[in-house]
Amino acid sequence: MIKAQNIDLSFNGKKVLDNVSVTFEPGKTNLIIGRSGSGKTVLLKSIVGLHNIESGEIWFEDILFNKLDFAGKTEIRKKMGMLFQGSALFDSLTTEQNVRFPLDMFTGMSLEEKTERVNFCLNRVNITNSNKLYPAELSGGMKKRVAIARAIALNPKYLFCDEPNSGLDPLTAILIDELIREITEEYQMTTVVNTHDMNSVMEIGEKIVFINEGIICWEGSKNEILNSDCKILNDFVFANSLAKQLRKSHE
Amino acid sequence: MIRFLNQFGKYFLLLGKVFSKPEKTIIYYKQTMSEMVYLGFNSVGIITIISFFMGAVITLQTAYNTENPIYPTYLIGLGCRDSIILEFSSTITALILAGKVGSNIASEIGTMRITEQIDALEMMGINSATYLILPKIIATLIFNPLLTLISIIVGIVGGGIAGTLTGVITPEDFIYGIQYAFIPYYITYSMIKTLFFAFIITTVSSFQGYYVNGGSLEVGRASTRAVVYSSVLILLFNVILTQLLLS
Repeated sequence: MIKAQNIDLSFNGKKVLDNVSVTFEPGKTNLIIGRSGSGKTVLLKSIVGLHNIESGEIWFEDILFNKLDFAGKTEIRKKMGMLFQGSALFDSLTTEQNVRFPLDMFTGMSLEEKTERVNFCLNRVNITNSNKLYPAELSGGMKKRVAIARAIALNPKYLFCDEPNSGLDPLTAILIDELIREITEEYQMTTVVNTHDMNSVMEIGEKIVFINEGIICWEGSKNEILNSDCKILNDFVFANSLAKQLRKSHE
Repeated sequence: MIRFLNQFGKYFLLLGKVFSKPEKTIIYYKQTMSEMVYLGFNSVGIITIISFFMGAVITLQTAYNTENPIYPTYLIGLGCRDSIILEFSSTITALILAGKVGSNIASEIGTMRITEQIDALEMMGINSATYLILPKIIATLIFNPLLTLISIIVGIVGGGIAGTLTGVITPEDFIYGIQYAFIPYYITYSMIKTLFFAFIITTVSSFQGYYVNGGSLEVGRASTRAVVYSSVLILLFNVILTQLLLS
């Protein structure tokens, strides 16, 4: 379980996170949703320690993460995997080397063992015959899948995904969503996904947190989101005309 | 002034982060080897070309400025040798490398920053500063003295060839000149300067790239700043080191 309590963060005097408290449950796909610039990515990066929060607490199980020193954080981070918005694959490394990178850095595995693990992870995300390709030679969807393979290489306990569907066509986006959900269930990870894609919300949103201007405005499940009386949330959820029409027909 | 002090402090904090214990030595060894090829070996060509022509020009200029029967012609060789060893091969080479290697380092690290590759390293529990910068520092500290030596040799050879082909000096006089009153300490002085310059180029450029904030435009700006600041610091330290080492 991951718990953030009363966290605050400002950039250049502007409050980006305002007294944010949220809990992410294990074995579930937890979603942070909100408009662009609402503070989703900042919240996610604050939780994993890429931004230093001004006040508040971030707990991973019973460990107060934000008070740990670099070595302490490193130990927790070995249990984390993260999928970045732009995939963040290392340009100078091939697909295989990218996935092997955390294994090279943190395990004493032999080359054969590492190759076996890399192939397992790549097969798990349905990437085949691309081991020797560089990130520049991969499509957007393939990059995301390779990034997921890299994120799960060390069998993480926590998986963080920042806008996993951005820049992908709807079909590929659904594939990525399904992959995240399957992996979460398979390895019983605590998964936190940042998104503003309502398809993702309806596909994988087991627990949903809605953030607006750095404030958590609503929490619930995908079954509750369509019947919420939170106006800002409704404006976001029913922003496009298709959703509006569906709501009308539903009413 | 406050901004300058802020940057100055950040630079030393980054250095503190860079010189911490690496996670896995073998990975850093491989990184250092590849940086030696990338930053050092790949600069041999440009250094050779520039040094050759630099040596040629120094010889010709020395010859045209000492056209007087009271000066023995071997002084042209001596002047060429001392100019190259004392100043050109260490300082000019460093300025060229500040342009080539410095901009390369800043743009590489800057691009990694804006594409979240540095965040990805941090997320894995890797000290990104050590992983990205330390191998570059070690590689340039090892390889740049070699580049300076190559520059000295090629520069003197270039001077000899230019002097002989234009007829301003005979090969015998040039060889006599480059051997005359040779002070081995000058090589040590040149190497010490090279080590300082290599450290400046790598750390200043890495610093500029590491703290890039924004998009590709900022990476370009960081790259320019890396070259400008490295060059100014090289010239400043050239004066300081010359005073300290030759006075």
